[in-house]
Amino acid sequence: MTTLVLVSHPELADSSTQQFLKASLPKSAIIWEHIESQSTIDIEKEQRQLRQADRIILQFPLYWYSAPAGLKQWEDTVLTRNFVYGDHRYPLAGKSLGLVVSTGMPAAAFQRGGAEGFSLDDLLTPFAALAQRARMTWLPTLAIPQFSYLEEPEKLKLVTDYQRYLTQDYPDSLANRQAWFADQLASRIAQLPADQQVTGRMIADQFDQRRTAISDLQGTLAMIKEQEDD
Amino acid sequence: MTDETKWLTEQIDRLAQQPEFTNRAFWLALARVVAEQDRRTEQLGGEVDGRTWSPDRW
Repeated sequence: MTTLVLVSHPELADSSTQQFLKASLPKSAIIWEHIESQSTIDIEKEQRQLRQADRIILQFPLYWYSAPAGLKQWEDTVLTRNFVYGDHRYPLAGKSLGLVVSTGMPAAAFQRGGAEGFSLDDLLTPFAALAQRARMTWLPTLAIPQFSYLEEPEKLKLVTDYQRYLTQDYPDSLANRQAWFADQLASRIAQLPADQQVTGRMIADQFDQRRTAISDLQGTLAMIKEQEDD
Repeated sequence: MTDETKWLTEQIDRLAQQPEFTNRAFWLALARVVAEQDRRTEQLGGEVDGRTWSPDRW
């Protein structure tokens, strides 16, 4: 799976959130682009990248309940009517679209009765409408509220949550989570010091056995439920 | 937590002492999925037992 990450931020170098996310990017199959650092938007190149990607991530800080102006300009320039749906070919159909949105307010502010009074889903509806128009699959938004207040364990968790958001199969079920970790294990073990690789392999074996055991139990349960229906 | 999970978590915790932040994050996240596997196994096992021994079916 190839994931295209389009970052919109007027001052990327000054953003600790964006620098952190950049350092957390998975090592392969990612195309990363900062929209505002391009002097002109090359429409053909942008559309080609969109066609090549299986998952498209729009990543930005929430500015006045929406994306920074740079992303809107990119949308208006690149997502031409003919490209998205005008010629009835829908080149983005079947791809997934997700937002990674950082906010200055806490998560609890974004709900009815919260300090902002609207959920992020409410505020970011135009992006969901775009996904629907383009026949894409909409991913639940990955919100990063108040990054600067995160403690180290929360930042460590964010690294993997972000990587999974970019590359794990949708939906985020236990089965898909297990598959993602199983898939990652070989390359992570290879990065361990030589004397720890045996432990790494034992962990991978155990992890796999547990995954099979859960799958077997689910099979048994499905069989029991089927008989109950008879 | 089963003995097997305890052992597995201890091994993973040991590997989580990696110098690189993103690798440390990976092993810690794996430990969370292992804990989730434990809970799911217990719940599924409980449901299988419960449905198998339903008094309605005696």
